[in-house]
Amino acid sequence: MEIAEAFPGLAWGECIVQPTSVPPAIKAEVKKAIGVVPGWVDRMAANPWLVRAFSRFGQKRVAHVPPALTDLITLVVSQDNSCRYCFGVQHALLRVLGYDQGYIDRLERDFHVADLTPAQRAALDFARKISRANPRVGPREFAELAKHGFTPPAIAEIAALAAMSVFHNRVATVLALPPEALETMVDQRLFKMLRPLIAWRMRRQPVPPEPAPRSSDRPCAAVVAALDGSPAAGAFRDVIDDAWASNALPRRTKALMLAVVARALGCPATEREARDLAVREGVGSETIDEVLATLGSRELDAREAALVPFARDTVRAQPEALQRRLREVTNGAGAETILEVAGTVALANAVCRLTVLLDLC
Amino acid sequence: MLWAVVAAAAVALGWQIVRARRTVATLEGRLESASQRLEALQQAFSRFAPAAVVEDIIAEGVSARSEKKEVTVLFADLKDFTALSERLDPAQLVSILNGYFARISRVVAEHRGHLAKFIGDGVLVLFGALDANPWQANDAVHAALAMRAALADYNAALGGDGLPRLAFGVGIHRGSVVAGVLGSAELMEYGVVGRTVNVASRVESLTRVHGVDILVTDAVCEALDRRFRLRAMPASEVKGVDAPLATFAVEGFETGGE
Repeated sequence: MEIAEAFPGLAWGECIVQPTSVPPAIKAEVKKAIGVVPGWVDRMAANPWLVRAFSRFGQKRVAHVPPALTDLITLVVSQDNSCRYCFGVQHALLRVLGYDQGYIDRLERDFHVADLTPAQRAALDFARKISRANPRVGPREFAELAKHGFTPPAIAEIAALAAMSVFHNRVATVLALPPEALETMVDQRLFKMLRPLIAWRMRRQPVPPEPAPRSSDRPCAAVVAALDGSPAAGAFRDVIDDAWASNALPRRTKALMLAVVARALGCPATEREARDLAVREGVGSETIDEVLATLGSRELDAREAALVPFARDTVRAQPEALQRRLREVTNGAGAETILEVAGTVALANAVCRLTVLLDLC
Repeated sequence: MLWAVVAAAAVALGWQIVRARRTVATLEGRLESASQRLEALQQAFSRFAPAAVVEDIIAEGVSARSEKKEVTVLFADLKDFTALSERLDPAQLVSILNGYFARISRVVAEHRGHLAKFIGDGVLVLFGALDANPWQANDAVHAALAMRAALADYNAALGGDGLPRLAFGVGIHRGSVVAGVLGSAELMEYGVVGRTVNVASRVESLTRVHGVDILVTDAVCEALDRRFRLRAMPASEVKGVDAPLATFAVEGFETGGE
């Protein structure tokens, strides 16, 4: 299936951040994590935590689900989120890995009728529901996956993979990342000849279970703990810590954005936590109440007054509208700030979707 | 002789394989096309009903799902349109009305509203009916202000063409409704019923009494951003409500630049 065919009528604007020179240390870090230095690194280099987050989640290390399922989840969630960038990359990756074009086409047209096992189909259905969060998944969906033989840690890992895709999709969509060279490279003769070798190098291997990092005093500790046993726990821990430590946006602004996304997605646990974080950063309880009730307050500065409603917009919106809104709310800001805004809303969306695990674990 | 039989059998087998492949390709094409149509249908449906209801209908043909939910109801009605309709040529009337509806529909969609029904020259808009929306009251009042601006633009265009100007009244109320697929086998729609809808309609009627264009109730007011400029109106008796109903005229919204 052609990319345009997958998203009829999709408008995808010009990337909001320009490419910059990338410090060698960042390049080396990305290459170590995912084996290559893709085009997005040039666009995100101004904000190192986002580069690390994008590559860390891109590793998709899993201990409890078949590694092949990770690519299928990424494809289905990216398509469902109309993320032209992530879908294009994942489509190309499946071809590199040697998936038959007809199989990929059927998967993209409708995974319910593709050549999948019932367990794979159930996992993809679940991942898509996690991403849509409309309504949020509940015990019925967990029971359905369990019926297909998925253990609780495997279910948590599927949710984590869907949340990671949500993160990638939101970042790529709000920034309007341009397609990667890989999309056209897979059709080149030389690449086709080398493809089996590349596929062999890229093939994902399961990794042993890992205990969740001890982090009860750090943001979003409960949701990280819910991923105990999965390498995804460490990935989320590192990304959340990095995001919180970065100072391109004030912490109080990030806490308020997280609280708004949590309220929009009906996620009381994260809303409580975001509220505590905001209070610790000096925001009054009454101001938080007002922001959560009305998306505004006279106590917010001009940038916060723009970013708080934008955080709400990122929960459910079409790419064109999101890209336009990011331009509006970051008008005049530098690349580092724009990237921080993109990363913050993306992480808030991912974490709030993942918190379904707290209700069920 | 044996070779001839083997060759004939091989040709026949080959022909069967080619036919089978063609059939499979045709069926795959049909399946893909049907799947695409279903996806498009599902997306189109999701503008008219919540995702869970759409899934029920696709899976089972009907949806028995009904639920109580908190929504904000906006009711807008053109003032003196009946008199206007008696003066105007029918084609002109329909054209003016459709121009108005097109502008209102666009504004409603931009503010996350669901245009549930056209009732003559009135529109019933719901906020928070299709997706949970914690900011439904703010969205509804912002939508009403945007409708006011859109109507002013439209009136400028109508005036330029020598056509009569329009005026509307908007009533907004928030409360509990029962939502579900309503109707008969011949005609069904996703809708809401309950006192909240009636009160919104009564509040719209009060705009004529108070001489304003946008009125909201207390229930809306308490969920609103403080930057909305509101003016309290005298409480009025309305049909179906025991105590006199307090309402507030919406004058505008303070932005940083104002």
